[in-house]
Amino acid sequence: MDREPMLERIAGARALLREVIEATDLPLIERALLLADMNLHWAQWNLGAPVSLMPETEYTAERGRNPE
Amino acid sequence: MAIRPFLRNQETPFWNRYYETMPREQLDALHLHRLRLVLRHAYDNSAFYRRKLDRAGVHSDDIRTLDDFKRRVPLLDKDEFILLQEERPPYGDTLAVPPDYVAHHCETSGTTGISLRIPYTGYDTERYGEAWCYAFWWLGVRPRDTFYFAFSWGLFAGFWSAYWGVRRLGATLYSGGGQNSEGHIRMIQKLRPTVLVSTPTYALHLAEVARKTGVDPASLSVKFTFHAGEPGPCAIPAMRRQIEEAWGARAGEMLGLAEVHALAPSCPTQQGVHVDETGCFSWSRDPATGEEAPEGGVGENIITTYVNNAQPLINYQTHDLVARYNQCECGRTWAFFKGVVLGRTDFMTTIRGTNVYQAAVENILGQIEGVSHHYQLVLTRVSGLDRMCVRAEPVPGWPAERFLELARIIEERIHQALQVRLEVELAAPGTLPRYELKTRRIIDQRPKEVRRILDRV
Repeated sequence: MDREPMLERIAGARALLREVIEATDLPLIERALLLADMNLHWAQWNLGAPVSLMPETEYTAERGRNPE
Repeated sequence: MAIRPFLRNQETPFWNRYYETMPREQLDALHLHRLRLVLRHAYDNSAFYRRKLDRAGVHSDDIRTLDDFKRRVPLLDKDEFILLQEERPPYGDTLAVPPDYVAHHCETSGTTGISLRIPYTGYDTERYGEAWCYAFWWLGVRPRDTFYFAFSWGLFAGFWSAYWGVRRLGATLYSGGGQNSEGHIRMIQKLRPTVLVSTPTYALHLAEVARKTGVDPASLSVKFTFHAGEPGPCAIPAMRRQIEEAWGARAGEMLGLAEVHALAPSCPTQQGVHVDETGCFSWSRDPATGEEAPEGGVGENIITTYVNNAQPLINYQTHDLVARYNQCECGRTWAFFKGVVLGRTDFMTTIRGTNVYQAAVENILGQIEGVSHHYQLVLTRVSGLDRMCVRAEPVPGWPAERFLELARIIEERIHQALQVRLEVELAAPGTLPRYELKTRRIIDQRPKEVRRILDRV
């Protein structure tokens, strides 16, 4: 598979993951999918896609930090 | 029976052909994009970088070319961080993430004897580990290989990062933590790993220990040896020959700085290392002129990491002198350092994987009552291991019956501060050579063929 279709599918996978991450209240599932998203972001990075530096902060900005 | 998810394409010599053979123009365009992201991240989130970049009058939007970056973004040295970390432990205001993002903490030697503390996020550790996958794959290691780590886990990042790499590769890991040298040999005989991970001098030492117990290390299961922490088989051809003959294996190495990244895996040609350009941006600076060194010329390796986002390092002075090339016969387009690191811009050496700065030893000696400021650091190699002896002079009038006690105090203080045991010899007052301040006091008595190129003069 060439680079462009790989990138399309990876971006699509990230979008699907995000739906579940936003909706689940199961910490295990949320954590597993955040790790999966990290690896998908890493795949994008290593295919030379101009993605962000720290995807994990994107989630936090939207969803709040660890409780004090 | 569970099927282990090994990779389909294991014949390719590339871990990621797309990136490893990316044309230079495309690599540089990506670097420019990513450097701007790093600058923005550091400025927005680290008080230290806000101050530094405001003082320099430069921000991410001002960086339109890589030349802008090299010339306008100020250089960074390790000491700047150490001071801030000491004022406000653990990290001062160098941190660029909220503390609850820090997933792993390591430390590395500082120039004055105080360690630099290094935080990593979880994702930082994954990126850090990935560089090792290139190194392993290029040498011929595959996920079915089994790794034996001949060291104990501690605060130093080097072999932690190799462990992260083995996890990413999907291989098997055996920890040799807590074993002495004979124990390592017994474990290797029982577990039959195919890859030995250690410092290069320790691999030679282990081979000698094996032979003394009647075991030929070349007859064991090890097919590859992998090294970091010291000049290794791609820096010193004599060392490569010794390791490969001793173990009947192929030897590779990783050039890394704990606080930065495992930044350059060894080339399959074993003539040097390639900068991992997915994980950092590197350029060479002539220390005499401050200008960019020409291709093939010796310059200081200046690094900006994409891998440590907890504590960004931007235009960071490594003090490593390298000869950088844009071409390599292996076909990879990543910058190539022929001979790895050729020397240092400062007075630092590495003993059993620990960086020892002349200034750090000097500071420690300066704090001990009874010790004068006359000293030498003598490097030798014994049974394959590098040893350093601190020759110090007591102050005039120090009673001879207290020499032994003083030597022990020096040894203990150095060990506490630098996490390495150095031998200590006291010379009679007035007998050591007198040096000008700030001159090199490291006397290298090791055979020339085991020293870095610039250390052989």
